[in-house]
Amino acid sequence: MARDALHRPPRKSLLSLLQPYILVAPTLILVLMFNVAPAFRTINDSLHKPARGLGAAGKPPEFVALGNFQDLFDDEHYMGKRFLRTLRNTIVFALATVGIGVPLGLLTALLLNRPQPLLGVWRFAVFYPSLLPLIGAASIWSFIFSDSIGLANAILKTFGHPGLNWLGDRNLVLLSVIIINIWKQAGYFMIFFLAGLQNIPRDIYESASLDGAGPAQQFAYLTLPLLRRTLLFVAVISFTFAFQTVEQLQALGEGGPADSANLLLYLIFQNISERRNWGYVNAMTIVLIGVVLSFTLSNFLLFERDETDR
Amino acid sequence: MSIDKEREPDMRLRNTLFVLALALCAMTAGAISAQSDIVIDFYFPSATANDAEGIFQRYADQFQEENPGITINPVFSGSYTDTRNTILTELQGGGAGPDVAVMLSIDLYSFAEEGYIVPAQTFIDAMDDGQAYVDDFFPALMANGMDEMGNVWSIPFQRSTPILYYNADLLAEAGYDSPPTNNAELVEIAQALTTDDRDGLLVPVAGGFPIWMYQSFAIAYGRNIVGDDPTEVYFNTPEAVEAVEFVRSLGTDLGVGPAGGAAWGDTPVAFLAEQAAMIYHTTGNLTRILSGADFEVGVWYLPSGPAGEDGAGYGAPTGGGNLYIFDDGSKSDAELDAIWKWVMFLSSPEIQSDWGATTGYIASNAAAWETEPLASLALEHPQYGVARDQLQHAGKEFSSYATITIQGIINGTLESILTGEAEDAQAAMDAAQAQIDGILADYR
Repeated sequence: MARDALHRPPRKSLLSLLQPYILVAPTLILVLMFNVAPAFRTINDSLHKPARGLGAAGKPPEFVALGNFQDLFDDEHYMGKRFLRTLRNTIVFALATVGIGVPLGLLTALLLNRPQPLLGVWRFAVFYPSLLPLIGAASIWSFIFSDSIGLANAILKTFGHPGLNWLGDRNLVLLSVIIINIWKQAGYFMIFFLAGLQNIPRDIYESASLDGAGPAQQFAYLTLPLLRRTLLFVAVISFTFAFQTVEQLQALGEGGPADSANLLLYLIFQNISERRNWGYVNAMTIVLIGVVLSFTLSNFLLFERDETDR
Repeated sequence: MSIDKEREPDMRLRNTLFVLALALCAMTAGAISAQSDIVIDFYFPSATANDAEGIFQRYADQFQEENPGITINPVFSGSYTDTRNTILTELQGGGAGPDVAVMLSIDLYSFAEEGYIVPAQTFIDAMDDGQAYVDDFFPALMANGMDEMGNVWSIPFQRSTPILYYNADLLAEAGYDSPPTNNAELVEIAQALTTDDRDGLLVPVAGGFPIWMYQSFAIAYGRNIVGDDPTEVYFNTPEAVEAVEFVRSLGTDLGVGPAGGAAWGDTPVAFLAEQAAMIYHTTGNLTRILSGADFEVGVWYLPSGPAGEDGAGYGAPTGGGNLYIFDDGSKSDAELDAIWKWVMFLSSPEIQSDWGATTGYIASNAAAWETEPLASLALEHPQYGVARDQLQHAGKEFSSYATITIQGIINGTLESILTGEAEDAQAAMDAAQAQIDGILADYR
């Protein structure tokens, strides 16, 4: 009896029972309010078309199931035409910034990972674009790429080239935006690679060179495999960034001409203000999140599986 | 001891709550004491580099001095697009929004459709001399503020129109004493002034918003793409097609400017750097161009198109922002009265004269041009008067139901024609017209 009494846990007051929930509540409420509820609302709104026409303001939306998505993938539809073009641009943009920006970040990291004079200056020079506010950087580039007064054309003209309409030619404008993005991000990626490189012990390379492995072999069989973790991480954030691009477009001709450089998130932003397009805006948001999520998830799943295999 | 220790946080919490409650009481008391004044939230965008915030604060101070009991709260709300989006987001989320706002004159139907704004006509009808007040505005500037029934919804405030700027020194060197007055002369002079380092003519139709400049040509070719009826758009008429083909040819066959057109922001810069002999641009840049040029700046009407051998083919759309009044039916008569006083004040000849002289926007009523400081300025720089006089030929800026969406279709179509992606202009415009008619069917 006495032992039982001793071991009986002290009676908890109601407050102490609720305490963990109370502590979690602020975060939980915020997450529900700002993440979960909007997500469900987006899904719900993507399945509806808002009331249109005169006096539409008070009327309830009409349920259309996947009708909005059908319109988006219809090239004849006014929104579908823009969406399909923009989706294609976004994929090209993402592949280019990942495919060029990430290797470039790795290359600069490799170059700046060896002792040399003015190392700090070089590293800062490469890293510094990522410190600039994006909208400011894009404004500078809009001057560089300007047709009649721009720096890029001034340089081309000294070589006898008549100059290019960087932001006005539909075949060049997406390239211009890609160049800016790579310039902006390569230095940022370099920092991750530098950190990764400095975690690789020196003696592995020493023993490799004793075994007769040249620099190319060392890179392919040592550096690259040991940087895999960093590489995957950088590829994922680079891909995600590509889908979040808005500022450059705002400063560089708003995705035009004729959406030839428009990207998905910016198209969503452009169409938010008119009620009739709300269904499309939500449907596009779901496509965007779907693409980013599936890319990120598949990357992490692949990565996790490899890790456990080891 | 241990009990006390456990209680300590509670005490602290209680103290904090007590202080918070006190602060809340103080704030409420402050709010109540301030409520004796009517506060008017006034949102304004800035499309110019001038110190709009400073100027509006000055107007607000002057107004408050003349109208004790009314407080103006000027809120800078970014660009025109930012302003529209801010207001829509606030109101759609159940917020209060502004009482008065400067928004594009073409935003009328978007806001009327949502039931957020009230017509100025109600206030005008209640005035003793309402008709005289309306009649003093230049008629072209009223077109976008009225619905198809002739009711006035919004009052012109910061209005503009495209005009032709020319480098008079360069024209004189080439033997031209006067600016081109029709498209044939325009092309001739532009070709004569085009060199390897200089464009003869820049028309800013690149960079997201070709519709405005394009409308100048559509009007000059004889038919605006929009009329009084907000459910009708005329984008595939022969005149509309010829107009865009002419603009395209400037950068291709005629070779007087870049293919695809010039970018909006680059155009005045290139003109000031003498890398362009003539440009089409907004009157909103007049002050900046006059003060920045090292050469004699000439300003003239946009050259006339084939529509008028007799000069009737002149034409330009109007642009810029109007004053809108917001009310969901919950505002008291005293509040509405104060709001209308503020609108009247901003549209008065005195303020319009000051605003026009400081910014370069066209002062919107005739009396403002006889009021200082604009009266002297217009005498000193006759260029200011050209924009005003061109208003007699000006047409309505594009505006319809679903304006933003339809504008997007038109801009995209124009850009694909101008950049050569769509070679067959008629086919592209027919397709766009079909999409537009599909949207407008909801409103017919």
